[in-house]
Amino acid sequence: MNTLRLRAGLNPGFASPPLAPGLGEVVTEEAVVLPPPGAKLHITPLVQEGERVRAGAPVACLRHAPAVCLVAPMQGQVARIDLMPGRILNEIVLFRDSETEGGTEVEQHDVSAAGSLPALRRLLQGAGVWPWIGRRPFGGMPGVDEVPASILVMGSDTRPFAPDPQLVLEGRHEAFARGLDALTRLTDGTVFVTWPHGLPTPRIARGGDRISWLLTGPRHPQASPGICLHRAAPAALDAPVWDLHAEDVAHIGDFMKTGRLSMTRHVHIAGSALAEARMVRTTTGADLRQLVQGLVTPGPHKTMAGGPLDGRSARWLGPRDRQVTVTPRTDPRPEPHWLIRALTSSAFPRPVIPTAALTQAFASALPAVPFLRALGAGDEEAAMRLGLLSLLEEDIALADYVLGTGGDLQRQLRALLDRIETENAP
Amino acid sequence: MTRGLWTRETVAALMLAALMPLALFWLWTSGLAGAMGLTFAIVIIGVWHLVFMLVRAQPPSLSALITALAIAMLAPEELGVFRLALGVSFGVVMGELVFGGWGRNVVNPATVALAFLGFGFPSAPWPAFDAPIAWAAIPAAVLGAALGIMPFALIVAAASVAAAALMLGLLTEPVLFAAGIGLVLLVADPVTSAATGLGRVLNGALYTLFVVFFAAGWSGAAPVQITVASALLASLAAPLLDDIAIQVWVSRRRRRHGRA
Repeated sequence: MNTLRLRAGLNPGFASPPLAPGLGEVVTEEAVVLPPPGAKLHITPLVQEGERVRAGAPVACLRHAPAVCLVAPMQGQVARIDLMPGRILNEIVLFRDSETEGGTEVEQHDVSAAGSLPALRRLLQGAGVWPWIGRRPFGGMPGVDEVPASILVMGSDTRPFAPDPQLVLEGRHEAFARGLDALTRLTDGTVFVTWPHGLPTPRIARGGDRISWLLTGPRHPQASPGICLHRAAPAALDAPVWDLHAEDVAHIGDFMKTGRLSMTRHVHIAGSALAEARMVRTTTGADLRQLVQGLVTPGPHKTMAGGPLDGRSARWLGPRDRQVTVTPRTDPRPEPHWLIRALTSSAFPRPVIPTAALTQAFASALPAVPFLRALGAGDEEAAMRLGLLSLLEEDIALADYVLGTGGDLQRQLRALLDRIETENAP
Repeated sequence: MTRGLWTRETVAALMLAALMPLALFWLWTSGLAGAMGLTFAIVIIGVWHLVFMLVRAQPPSLSALITALAIAMLAPEELGVFRLALGVSFGVVMGELVFGGWGRNVVNPATVALAFLGFGFPSAPWPAFDAPIAWAAIPAAVLGAALGIMPFALIVAAASVAAAALMLGLLTEPVLFAAGIGLVLLVADPVTSAATGLGRVLNGALYTLFVVFFAAGWSGAAPVQITVASALLASLAAPLLDDIAIQVWVSRRRRRHGRA
């Protein structure tokens, strides 16, 4: 049964040139502070345009929860603070400081006081860790006082072209263990860590009994956070679950020792419009145009933050993105004849035919057909019973791709989640 | 956005490809009469698909050919043009198109059409199948299951129950042949069979059990008639079986996680 489970899933093939050797270090000339995708953050800016900031220095805090800060990804000058009506954050653009000498200055936090749980939370919130955390149900950033029922750490990643977290963790297992220890203090439940099947799991000295390892196979979506949570610790309305990438956990581990939070991350740049794929280490909020500069083949192209399945056209790297996908941009096709349209695309949403491919697109984790029928019919109760609350768009992106529904399923999922969230709002 | 290929029409085309061994062999043995019947069914179904496309903006589907094949192979003989057209129309319109086309239907249109013809015109003789045609159903089932378009669990469950019934001497050869052809043409339909793992096992087993039950207790029934009645009842039971499977799944999860 276990081998069956580890073989579940699909590996859709996407074209991409071979990976260039080595790891590029890129700090882009411009970088931004962004809200997590889909989140509306009312903020209070803590800096003014033109001001110089250190890497990791807070540039804004949430208006209704001043403890939660958004921090500068690199040392530089605040170029533009772009707010929407209601002081909702759109983006804060920074220009890289080229004048400083003697390396970058990184914001230093006092970690000696992190002994108590409230102090630890305040420290992480103030250092800018909060936007890195994903939360389920509904997605977005965790609330300031939210206590998760459990935490999921993604030590494996099966998305196409995703950077291997194991590569990132090389030589950083001590920091990773320290980060996990900090996470065990944030929750009363278990900290689940996904780990590739066949690799030895690291020994954790402290808090090891609160950590549970989830072995995942090589096929997507086995290491998709939603599918892992669905199997191990389903999220519920009163039991939110957080998820974090292993690299961020290692950063937290280093932060707990040195008081400096690294804003770097490994990003894999891939896609069919590239001359060569690359792995780079850059900062959060990096400028995608500079990242892909020199790698793209001539011709119009589309740069997406995220993978080929769940990516979205973007100019900047989001707080939780670790992939950049560049695909050729095709001009919108001319409108076909009305009869052709009637023959091919008049029925929306398209009916889903149950096949083995669909079951595998959910890694056999849940009854896919009844779930999709509940989504299509907008049946909240049935969908929640089948595990809707653990899932987000990224988890069903594969099903959307496999069925050729062009994003319909993700839109249906989001609409249903939004409705449930509104109905259950306090 | 790039797209995968498992759309409705891909599945319909693959279903057709999987049924090709059966269809070609049947056409070869039945000759001109079979070809005429198939063409007639395709025309009638095509007309209805066209009507629903123009009136209800429902895109037509290649699955019409699968329905036509099933009806042409299994419909009672000597019905005449009018009665056959009436039965096919009833099955396709009431069984499929009024629900929104293939993919949204709850019963297989061919099953509905055949049941309508069988119950409506009981004096018409049912076709009989020889061993070679029934053998051709095996590659169809294997292809369908291997491509993932026919429910593997359903086919295995139906075949296992049939094997057990054969050993107990409950199934005669003609009934077994008809039931095998009915399995690939009517029961192993991805849309209207059960959609969960356990549901599919129950669905397949239930179909064969109905066949065994009717074969034992329905005196004077033709093998194909038994097959059609079993397929109809099994597909009507599919939502119930799915519901049972989901209840079991949810209660197991509830025990493990404390919540669904």
